Amino acid sequence: MAMSVEEIEAAIIEKATKSPKPQLYIKDFYKCDPDSKPRAIKNIANGLVKKGELMFWSSGSTTMYARPDRIKDEEGSEGVN
Amino acid sequence: MAKHDTPLLDELEKGPWPSFVTDMKRQAETHPECWDILGQLELSYEDRITHWKHGGIVGVFGYGGGIVGRYSDVPDRFPGVEHFHTVRIAQPSGLYYSTKNLRALMDLWDKYGSGMTNMHGSTGDMIFLGTRTENLEPLFWDLTHDLDQDLGGSGSNLRTPSCCLGESRCEWSCYDTQDICYHLTMHYQDEIHRPAFPYKFKFKFSGCPNDCVAAIARSDFAVIGTWKDDIQIDQAGVKEYMAGNYPSNGGAHSGRDWGAFDIKKEVIDICPTNCMWMEGDELKIDNSECTRCMHCINVMPRALKPGKEKGATICIGAKAPILDGAQFATMVIPFIKVSKENEYENVIDVIEQIWDWWMEVGKNRERVGETMQRIGLPTFLRVMEVDAMPQHVREPRSNPYVFWKEEEVEGGFERDVEEFRRKHAA
Repeated sequence: MAMSVEEIEAAIIEKATKSPKPQLYIKDFYKCDPDSKPRAIKNIANGLVKKGELMFWSSGSTTMYARPDRIKDEEGSEGVN
Repeated sequence: MAKHDTPLLDELEKGPWPSFVTDMKRQAETHPECWDILGQLELSYEDRITHWKHGGIVGVFGYGGGIVGRYSDVPDRFPGVEHFHTVRIAQPSGLYYSTKNLRALMDLWDKYGSGMTNMHGSTGDMIFLGTRTENLEPLFWDLTHDLDQDLGGSGSNLRTPSCCLGESRCEWSCYDTQDICYHLTMHYQDEIHRPAFPYKFKFKFSGCPNDCVAAIARSDFAVIGTWKDDIQIDQAGVKEYMAGNYPSNGGAHSGRDWGAFDIKKEVIDICPTNCMWMEGDELKIDNSECTRCMHCINVMPRALKPGKEKGATICIGAKAPILDGAQFATMVIPFIKVSKENEYENVIDVIEQIWDWWMEVGKNRERVGETMQRIGLPTFLRVMEVDAMPQHVREPRSNPYVFWKEEEVEGGFERDVEEFRRKHAA
């Protein structure tokens, strides 16, 4: 049975908090609920960015997700988005 | 006066061609940070390594694209380029700018950035090169509120869709490229501004097979106008070309005397499928063999036109040569109606069928064309629910094995082979 949005949000946050590398691809979150469509997971992850639980990290060609407190930008500030 | 000595870069000013070094020196007169770009580039030429650090967490609130972070790794020596972020501005469909709008954009960029631009990037955006993090939000506010324009796509987003000028000026356009480009830009705002995919994804819309936006070479999803019926021939127009009364190619090559127009040499003999011939003084075309190369129409535009039953071919999977070489798109859907009456619903269905599959199967940083190559075209055609046809075949097969699916084998894989062989003795 597919998980609720809240359950998926919690699983995504846990994954982003405990992963060895702070930056994760969107595909890394698919496993949080294999029954959900990738586009649904993407929408939930982007919703978490809006809430400030995650942030985008972009190389220019690829965009990854990270917990704000696990990543710093080149200027040394945290959680700027 | 130059802030840094740049003997290596100065070499690039010596040829007869325009030089970006000269442009940057001129720009440095009003934006001193441009001296530091030249200084850092000179250092890169000496060290043979880039001194840019690429990427990061800069952006504007609510967007996951449109800004590409860039920092110098030698900021003490070149403080003007300590931050030098790139801003992508969504271009208007068909690249129609008014001079008023261009001036306003340049004033905006002079105010918040280096004033240097790239017109345009490969995706099609206008690219503003070089600003500091603290300028991003004010720039974004003015861009969206005063100029009513938006940022384009970057990262693993849908990139800013682009199109040729289509029906606005071109009689060959087989559908309204600008309308579908605008419609899908609005329809997929979330995918343009926030990451959605394993990697970038680009739409490009060309109105005819001349493909003026290079959709077949540069986009994951190329919609290229075509027609289903016969090329329209005006035989009287053909005679005028043959008599030399109409200039071939609309006079595009009139700067040199090429001699009298020769329809056999310039059109019939170089048709890639040899599907044209003269019968008396009438031009004939075997339209079933025509591959829509557009050459004959380009040469004799007042005599030949695309057919009347118009639509588009969808080609999927082109990319530039980052991994595994450049790749052209593969023709997947030979003809599709492109109609604003149904709000392009059938095109949207194809797009989302690809996305649903690619988001699941595609690896990180894998373009859809690479995923197609990895899993093979037959599997991709099954995903797209398209029947294979000769036009899908690029070259004769080199693999001797036939990979049957169980449903294609009479009796399935569990059938009694001994029984089969009794009936089909060698």
